[in-house]
Amino acid sequence: MRTDGATAEPTGRGDVLVVDHLVRRFGDLTAVDGVSFRIAAGETYGLLGPNGAGKTTIISMVAGLIAPDEGTVTVAGEQMGRTAVAPKRHIGLVPQDLAVYPELTARENLVLFGRLQGMTGPQLTARVAEVTELIGLTGRAKDPTKEYSGGMKRRLNIGIGLLHRPTLLILDEPTVGVDPQSRNQILESVERLSVEGMAVLYTTHYMEEAERLCDRIGIIDSGVLQAEGTRDELVRLTGAVDHIRLSGTGDTHAAAEALRALPSVSQVDVDRRELRLTVGDAPSAVAQVVTRATDAGMSLADVEITRPDLESVFLHLTGKALRD
Amino acid sequence: MRPLWTMAISDLRQRARDKSVFIFGIAVPLALMGVLNLVIGNLLSRDLTPVTVAVSVPVGDEAGQSLVGTLRSLGDIDGVGGFDVRVRPVSPSDVRGLVAGDEADLGLTVPDGFGAALLQGAPKDVTVVDGGGGIENDVVISVVTGTVDRYRAATVAATAAGRVGLPASDLAAIGREVATSLPTIALTEGRASDEQLSTTGALVAGQAGLFLLFTVGFGVLGLVNEREQGTLARLRSMPMRPGLIVAAKALVSFILGVVATTVLLTAGSLLFDVDFGSPLAVAVLVLCAVTAGTSITFVIARIARTAEQSNVAQSIVALVLGIAGGAFFPLNAGGVLGTLLDANPVGAFIRGLGITSGGGGVGDIGVPVLVLLVFAVAMVGVSRVVPDRGDAL
Ligand SMILES: Nc1ncnc2c1ncn2[C@@H]1O[C@H](COP(=O)(O)OP(=O)(O)O)[C@@H](O)[C@H]1O
Ligand SMILES: [Mg+2]
Repeated sequence: MRTDGATAEPTGRGDVLVVDHLVRRFGDLTAVDGVSFRIAAGETYGLLGPNGAGKTTIISMVAGLIAPDEGTVTVAGEQMGRTAVAPKRHIGLVPQDLAVYPELTARENLVLFGRLQGMTGPQLTARVAEVTELIGLTGRAKDPTKEYSGGMKRRLNIGIGLLHRPTLLILDEPTVGVDPQSRNQILESVERLSVEGMAVLYTTHYMEEAERLCDRIGIIDSGVLQAEGTRDELVRLTGAVDHIRLSGTGDTHAAAEALRALPSVSQVDVDRRELRLTVGDAPSAVAQVVTRATDAGMSLADVEITRPDLESVFLHLTGKALRD
Repeated sequence: MRPLWTMAISDLRQRARDKSVFIFGIAVPLALMGVLNLVIGNLLSRDLTPVTVAVSVPVGDEAGQSLVGTLRSLGDIDGVGGFDVRVRPVSPSDVRGLVAGDEADLGLTVPDGFGAALLQGAPKDVTVVDGGGGIENDVVISVVTGTVDRYRAATVAATAAGRVGLPASDLAAIGREVATSLPTIALTEGRASDEQLSTTGALVAGQAGLFLLFTVGFGVLGLVNEREQGTLARLRSMPMRPGLIVAAKALVSFILGVVATTVLLTAGSLLFDVDFGSPLAVAVLVLCAVTAGTSITFVIARIARTAEQSNVAQSIVALVLGIAGGAFFPLNAGGVLGTLLDANPVGAFIRGLGITSGGGGVGDIGVPVLVLLVFAVAMVGVSRVVPDRGDAL
């Protein structure tokens, strides 16, 4: 785990993406300032940061849409660039703005981009049908996309990106402006892809999405990668810990004594009919905690877990709230 | 090459679906041709009525006689169908009376010593009595004025020669020579080949040339649209050379332009009974004009940030070039302005069609073809130099 944009280590075997010291300026503004990270095969990596943090600019350089002022992007061992062709075969881009043709049907959109990816014939036809099914548009595949709802367009947008089974799928805030149902569908399909072994680069400003989907998360603000690691590693950075709160009747003091003996519990505070426990990892400890307290003669009315989240990590790192 | 056609075909399919190319590339110009043909066509092709001119010329005045000859020859000029000028030689005192009594539409009095004065470089004025007739009188008056001006210019030249030491006898000869060998003025002079197009033919050619500039916009300017739509980013992430994206748009512009212009010229010539001559030569002109038109869109795609801006820019360019090129009415100018007008693709296209409809083949349209191609090269050059405001190309 690193807490700054230190130089990426030499390419590891499994690394699908190596981003090394990227810098991109727009006039006086340095939108991306020395960002380095890498993604291993099959890994889902999240870039979490507020609007204007530089996420889209990073994605644009990773996908070879714009050239970095400094630094390099390597995809599957090949250097990415605006005119590079080979590394682009390995990526599937799902741009933040809907990138579908409104006059064309879902099918026609998929076929067009499939062809541009070099797919042809029965292989293309079969894959188009498969992806149409995957994104839940089979019934509407022959309607022009301008007649679709926002959520349907978003799903198609993703479908086009993963059509050619890219080694690295790049999703730029795919759930912005989407109804909760479509949003859930999108998150589920990303989870499925990562199970299938596709590496994913996912940007978002929703911490729940990053927590739910990503193996590792890079926290970005003002063009700088502030920290990266697993969710737990990041949380540990803040020094914050998990709590379990138990309330109920019976012998709270006996329960407190019993719980103190548990190795996963580091501290127990008693406050009248309520116990407040400090634990290492609340979800894994909670079952044991409840059993032990009940055995000790406490009858529980309520159990509540509180964990520090990425929101507090962001606040800790930048002194700002993630959401404005 | 495959991605190029894949993109172009997909684009053409979309253009076909949203119908706007059909509306702006074919329906609107055809409708305009019809309307303009009614309005301007009737105005211009109206037959001119005969004019009677009462002229008094001093006996033995050579210059005066040649003026009368010029007027008589007006009736012989092609394209001014049926414009008959009857010249009635009368004595000086009768001129005014005849015009006043409606026996003549116009009176001309050539003063005594007109020719001699010319030779001395101090010409005398010809008196014109206008009976208040229509456009026909104006034509005659302009011819007379033009002729007299020619004489004046010739004598000035001759006088200048005298100052450097020519003997008076030679001077007189030169003056006579210049005056009589002058081309027979105004209506034949400056006749561009486009005037070989009938009024209606010029309209069809002009509207086809003008709307061609709109039609080609549906290709390359689509780039600006794709940028707004987000699809440009996706196209750029595809494994192909980025230049192919622009090339596909240019191909679409080209195909749309060729199809629309061919339809317009064909429909126009059938509906309005115009013959543009050699199909091969016309095809060459269409290809070159579409190339020139497409080249403009490269510049606009660089400058415009939004689809709206690009549409406005495209309309302005099309109208300015269309009007300057004579899509609505012929414009004539000399000097630098004339050269600028000549460098205009719409003008070159119309002139080229004038040549083909006059019977010219591929070998005769070299000048308009060259103008169109040089224009295209210049525009593509400009588009390389202009900074890319929208990151489109
Ligand atoms: N083409 C551009 N021209 C000028 N500034 C830009 C451009 N693209 C992005 N920026 C600026 O760079 C910063 C990062 O933008 P972006 O990468 O879009 O952030 P995010 O995707 O995290 O919301 C912002 O301040 C934005 O205004
Ligand atoms: Mg963004």
